Amino acid sequence: MTIVRTRYAEAHPGLGDGADPVTTEIIRQGLNAAADQMKQSLIRTAFSPIIYEALDFAVAFYDADMCMLAQAPTLPAFMGTLGFCVREAVEGVGGPAALSPGDVILYNDPYGTGSHPQDAAMVVPIFHEDTLVAYSAIKAHWLDIGGKDPYCTDTVDVHQEGTIFPGVKLYDAGRLVSDVYRMILANSRMPEMVIGDINAMVAGARTGAEALGALVRRHGLDTFRRCVARMYAHGEALVRGWFERLPDGVYQESSVIDSDGVNGTPIPFGVRVVVEGSSVTVDLTDCPDQVGGPVNCPLPSTVAAVRIAVAFLAGAGEQPNEGHFRPLELVTRLGSLFHPVRPAPCFMYGIPSDHAIELIIKALAEAVPESVPAASGGDINALVWWGNREATGEPWADGAPHPVGQGAGPSADGASALMYISESATRFTPAEVWEARNPWRIERLALAEDSGGPGRHRGGLGLDLSFRILEDQYLTAGLARTALAPWGLEGGLAGRPNRLTVEYPDGRAEDFSLKTRIFLPKGAVVHLRTGSGGGYGPPAERDPEAVRADLREGYITPEHAARHYPHAL
Amino acid sequence: MTTVIGVDVGGTFTDLVLHDAATGEIRVAKQPTTPSAPERGVLAAVDAAVPPELLARCRHFVHGTTVGLNALLERRGATVGLITTAGFRDVLEIRRGDRDDPYDLFWTPPPPLVPRRLRLEVAERVAADGSVVRDLEPEDVRRAAETFAAEGVDAVAIVLMNSYANPAHEARAAELLRQAGFAGPVSLSHEVSGEYREYERTCTTVVDAFVRHRMGPYLHNLDHELRVRGFAGELLVTRSGGGALALAEAAARPFETILSGPVAGAAATARLAASLGPSLGMGTAVAADVGGTSFDTALIEDGRLPLLYQGEVVGLPLQSPWVDVRSVGAGGGSVAYADAGGLLRVGPRSAGADPGPACYQRGGTEPTVTDAALHLGMIPRGHISGGIELSEDAAARALAPLTGPTGIDGVDAVAVGVVRIAAAHMAQAVRGVTVERGVDPRGGAVVAFGGAGPVFGCLLADELDVDTVVVPPNAGNFSAVGLVQADIVRTAARTMVRPLDDEALPLVERVTEALFERLAQPGAVREVDLDLRHRGQEHTLTIPVRLGEDDVASVSARFSEAYHRAFGHTLPDPLEIVTVRATGRVVLDADRPMVPAPPSGGSGRGTTRLWSFRRGAWTEAPVIRREDLDGVAEGPLLVVEPTATTYVDAGFAAETHESGCLLITRKDSA
Repeated sequence: MTIVRTRYAEAHPGLGDGADPVTTEIIRQGLNAAADQMKQSLIRTAFSPIIYEALDFAVAFYDADMCMLAQAPTLPAFMGTLGFCVREAVEGVGGPAALSPGDVILYNDPYGTGSHPQDAAMVVPIFHEDTLVAYSAIKAHWLDIGGKDPYCTDTVDVHQEGTIFPGVKLYDAGRLVSDVYRMILANSRMPEMVIGDINAMVAGARTGAEALGALVRRHGLDTFRRCVARMYAHGEALVRGWFERLPDGVYQESSVIDSDGVNGTPIPFGVRVVVEGSSVTVDLTDCPDQVGGPVNCPLPSTVAAVRIAVAFLAGAGEQPNEGHFRPLELVTRLGSLFHPVRPAPCFMYGIPSDHAIELIIKALAEAVPESVPAASGGDINALVWWGNREATGEPWADGAPHPVGQGAGPSADGASALMYISESATRFTPAEVWEARNPWRIERLALAEDSGGPGRHRGGLGLDLSFRILEDQYLTAGLARTALAPWGLEGGLAGRPNRLTVEYPDGRAEDFSLKTRIFLPKGAVVHLRTGSGGGYGPPAERDPEAVRADLREGYITPEHAARHYPHAL
Repeated sequence: MTTVIGVDVGGTFTDLVLHDAATGEIRVAKQPTTPSAPERGVLAAVDAAVPPELLARCRHFVHGTTVGLNALLERRGATVGLITTAGFRDVLEIRRGDRDDPYDLFWTPPPPLVPRRLRLEVAERVAADGSVVRDLEPEDVRRAAETFAAEGVDAVAIVLMNSYANPAHEARAAELLRQAGFAGPVSLSHEVSGEYREYERTCTTVVDAFVRHRMGPYLHNLDHELRVRGFAGELLVTRSGGGALALAEAAARPFETILSGPVAGAAATARLAASLGPSLGMGTAVAADVGGTSFDTALIEDGRLPLLYQGEVVGLPLQSPWVDVRSVGAGGGSVAYADAGGLLRVGPRSAGADPGPACYQRGGTEPTVTDAALHLGMIPRGHISGGIELSEDAAARALAPLTGPTGIDGVDAVAVGVVRIAAAHMAQAVRGVTVERGVDPRGGAVVAFGGAGPVFGCLLADELDVDTVVVPPNAGNFSAVGLVQADIVRTAARTMVRPLDDEALPLVERVTEALFERLAQPGAVREVDLDLRHRGQEHTLTIPVRLGEDDVASVSARFSEAYHRAFGHTLPDPLEIVTVRATGRVVLDADRPMVPAPPSGGSGRGTTRLWSFRRGAWTEAPVIRREDLDGVAEGPLLVVEPTATTYVDAGFAAETHESGCLLITRKDSA
């Protein structure tokens, strides 16, 4: 049994000691602004709605030592995961010595990106005069790059999940490598969309590279490096300051993942968080060996889960850099659910990773009760659709995450219908945009009455979404947390779990959670009922006026009030 | 030429600018803003600066108001009822599922403007192509009217699915609502916006219904008070998208005015760039407006205002044209502090007007950007407008505590740091707008205005690698100058997703005819724009078209050019129209000249000790009154005038351009 400890060493101790704090602040802001420019460039030019609407991408800068300089706020789920893929991408093409200005490296190996092959990264080396000083990197979700299906929930090895580019030059010194380009297109079911997104990613990474290059030129390389070292020390001090205030101790929680997607067996796991002074260790060794279905979580995404949990609790609202993560150590077991080895399938890596985030936060409830809410719907409820248009035969595809109710907190009700925290910057596609684009008619888009977990503070409501299928098509469902109801805290009751039902034209109905390629005939109606938030505190302590207001606005029915809040009636 | 008054209500001051056509005279006045009844501050400014006979000669009174914005900020507006398609009552509350702060576990959206019990559903359905899937059920509308009557609803918003493609059901629902006895204002989404995206359109329509209640009475009351004082001209209200609306239109479409606050300064810059661009060498002008609480910037290309078609105010999206002015919390009042990790930070929190910077000695003790600039001699020692005596000692006392936690050696170095960080914030905001539009600001000019803009002009030029800084006349009141230059503008739009092919342009022509008919503006100059995109993309570029002259090839070529400029590449994919936009513009006074400089003045003369950022050292420098500036003066120096101070660092030289602008040019490279 191999135990792996992942932590971040200080690359150049003492380098930042003499750095001017004013220039450090100016460079820190400059890096964050440059990352934001890269993000805006990608959003504005991307072809796939998964990028421009759902913001399913990450953009970041890394220094020559692969430490994160800055990351623009997009999907927290990708927090800090790009470091692994920058390293692997550069190694793939022969190491830093093999790089020249104008290179663009393509990399999408799940064991380096942490996710599925659809999440492809572009890495651009940034040179100052003749010195390699940094990398700009973009990872974004392509609609399709091969694999047994456009979106898979039932793979048994990683090779079924998509074509893998293990670090190859897409541009060599500014020249497009057409062999690689043609291979990408030959391996996608939607080559036109993918071409558009490739162009957008290359343009974005180059925009970022230029902005960062200008920052280095402006301040000089030596000053830049010293100030960056000081910036990391600053980020580290902020996070250490937060953990120092926590009582030292060992905090543990356990839970169960619905299914591995292939055998249907539930997967129990536990988290153990050790707070010691200003450092924190998260131990995820209490889990099964890697499983046969695609819910294994490659190490980079396990790291991301831990970082997100910490960012939510201790981040002080700052855009993070490498320094913020230095106080963190992660313990995993090689060959396990949270540290699988090739060729374990991992397409649905987000399921264990998302579950771990909420469980780590729950574990810390004992240490910081004022900072921890009850459970949310707990999943992104990913759905992917595709087919060929009836009139033209043209292929189409779309995919989206869906919002869930949020857990109630110690001082307020949970918010209704927000994206799960790992995708918290993601937006829900407007029904009118969907109808203009896809052969559907949305019949209902509503908050689910009575769905919030009862409590002194009520859980947020889940979403009820129904859409009628106007042309034959396929659906892949990637729902988790369909069996485990969102937990309440401090005596609050559970909310409702996620649920997907397909109602066929013949009146038959069937529920799905993880299922690939569900045929939807014309006339079928899909009902997605997303999870709600758990309640906080005993329902008997709910303010009667709050109960009456919920009744008046129809967030709860009289029956629900009579059952859970008789004291208010 | 006509006599025009512009009055802009800001957060702190209400500014008035009057241009007297008979004498060419300019008058300015400043009065404290009176937030509870803004018309009082407006009328006080009029009473202070405009004698009755002059008011009687005024043709136009152009007003920039925050009444609509404040109604939203304070949530004081009409009780609104919403009628929507069955199945969709929660659209307003579900929003788009995102969070303003992605890292806040407890983030909760602001409560919707219409509570759930007043969001009522009617059976009906229109498809995305405009075809009717299900007829409107009249009984549902009648029932809604009963509920609204029982609940005391003041105004109703009607938003039905896909009404942008076929508005018949919305119109019919309004008719039924009237028949059922509802007498209050009704806002229809296809009239308010005409664009797709149901959450954004619902929000815009509800905001319209919500603020109309406040805006109409306010404007009519102001109009009445002006007429009592002898005003016989026309009251106009500035739009978020530039230009102004006639009173009746502004009262009927108040959501178009909500984001108008920072627009006037950008509009004045655009006007300046359009008339002087060639002679000042600025194809690209960066508006740099530094006020008390914020830095507002806009990128002006070829004298045109940068327009966007969706704005956001207090977390509510608005489908309405608005000028792309970016605001960051880096103004004179922005507070400097040492963060938990020991770095020096500036803003976004501001000491505001009250208590204001420490050097104002009105109870503020926190160090601000103004305190740092005063300490460094970038603002003349002595008095500033408003009669507040600035205290150097108070500034130094406020800055001193920052030395400890940051480890910065001495108050001088802290002050330099605060100003550099503030300038870096401003430069990043500028880079944000220029990079997004694919424009390199080098080769253009920074137009510096607002109370503190000219203090930062040279620092910004260095940060941005720009060689030219232009300080317009009346730099401190330049935003209000933008008001007296406004045209009357009305716009309408309709989403129409279809390929850009040979059949498209005749169709566009028919749609625009209908839109212009709705605008009903005789004599207006008509402008048509299309939101275009590559098929498969979502984001659009807005491209002007000349109907009757353009064909698919010429429109496509214009799109490709704009796309290349914005994104650095072009694509072969076919184009798609998303939205058709019609603009009617009545030019009030085509020859209105650049407003000349106001009477002379300015505090301080002789020499002063100031910090040169270029030299990294203290230096003795002359202080020159703006009207005394003769020929080319080499920096470092201060140029003073009643409403602003211009800091000219070493390596820059200042001269007065024939337009009255102060032209500052870099003499070496940074």
